[in-house]
Amino acid sequence: MSETFQCGDNAALVGYLYDECELDERRAIDAHLSVCGACAAEVAALRSTRLSLSSWAPPETELGFAIVRAQASGPGPQTEARGPAPWVWWRQPLPAWAQAAAAVVLFGAGLALGITQGTDTPAAPAEGTVASAPAAATAPVRAVSADDLAALERRLRAEMAQMRTVSATNASAASAAPAEGSDGQVLARVRALIEESEQRQQRELALRVTQVMRDVDTQRRMDLAQIQGSFRQIEGVTGAQVREQRDMLNYLIRASQQAR
Amino acid sequence: MTVSDEELVSRSQGGDVDSFNQLILRWERPIYALAYRVIGREEDARDVCQEAFLRAYRALPGFKGQAKFSSWLYRIALNLCRDWIRRQRRAPVVEIPEGVDPTELAAQTEPAESIEDLVARQELSGIVEEAMKVLPEEQRTAIILKEYHGLTFQEIADLQGVPLSTVKTRLYQGLSVLRRHLEKNGRMAPQSRNALKAFR
Repeated sequence: MSETFQCGDNAALVGYLYDECELDERRAIDAHLSVCGACAAEVAALRSTRLSLSSWAPPETELGFAIVRAQASGPGPQTEARGPAPWVWWRQPLPAWAQAAAAVVLFGAGLALGITQGTDTPAAPAEGTVASAPAAATAPVRAVSADDLAALERRLRAEMAQMRTVSATNASAASAAPAEGSDGQVLARVRALIEESEQRQQRELALRVTQVMRDVDTQRRMDLAQIQGSFRQIEGVTGAQVREQRDMLNYLIRASQQAR
Repeated sequence: MTVSDEELVSRSQGGDVDSFNQLILRWERPIYALAYRVIGREEDARDVCQEAFLRAYRALPGFKGQAKFSSWLYRIALNLCRDWIRRQRRAPVVEIPEGVDPTELAAQTEPAESIEDLVARQELSGIVEEAMKVLPEEQRTAIILKEYHGLTFQEIADLQGVPLSTVKTRLYQGLSVLRRHLEKNGRMAPQSRNALKAFR
């Protein structure tokens, strides 16, 4: 390659621009650019144009082409390229509504499981504070082990024994019902307490599900409003551009027809 | 370890379809990008991309490895793009009547694009895309192959079937037209404007 550079040799400038020239030629161009403002400006402008070009990206699209062997009874294997590979449903991204619905179902199922298996949540919240007591509801649910159950049984037996003692004291004082009868009363009371607790938890679950659904619905409405706004904005811009292009196209067609 | 294109081609020629599918996986996005930039239409670019791989597969027994597999694939895709452009040129120009909204027509005939895709596409590529449309096909293709696919001058010359000097001329002319177009629309990068001012 030449060790000198002819001012205005655009092909050489392109080689320089893309770094596809010999070292000697590069040195010669470097030397020339340091003294020639016009060529230096030309290279700077071309570089800037290249910089702008880097912003052009094709739209993202699912491709997934694949050659498949057809099952037809031809002499040799038939081939065809199919469009986007048939995505199995679990690999497809779920829409937002489906994700929200799945979250609600999972949440509900988790709560129901917690209720049926029983939790050792201390002191259920008062009636009026159910809706605003997420701390108890959102406490991590741990697996109930045999030790936990044994501890619970021991605690209940101790409480029952204590209550039996109290009732026996009362009974002796009042000379009233026999011991078997007081046991039955205690059991009935425990059952009533358990039922009450279950009902309270069911109410809490219902409230929570309603709240989640309301939140999801609100979010969906907000998203829709936002999307509609974006649509209107884009349609406004696109419509104006299309109208301009249509007018221009019609004008060009008319002008070309008149020229004939 | 990554298996080379040559190895996959060799296995494909031996009847291993999975190896060819690996080649597709490796090259489908560049080929689609090439087709999209040359053609400018997403759906047609997908069709061209699919057809290119199908043709490549059918012609694979005749591929002797004189050129790189990618160059061979680019050539097939570019030929398909040229065919597509020729067909478009032959299509009659129909004047859009007054009172008809082309956006509604487009909405009826083309699948809707998601908002995210539309916005991202507009923001990232709209300006340059419009500028590229101004260029003659051979200049546009040369720029696309160089800028977005990193081919050498010689590879582009081989693909376009022209001398190396012609490729450089096409690149220079194409870049100059783009530069003027971008300057006219005030789209030149600030640092380059400063550089230009410094020299002027």
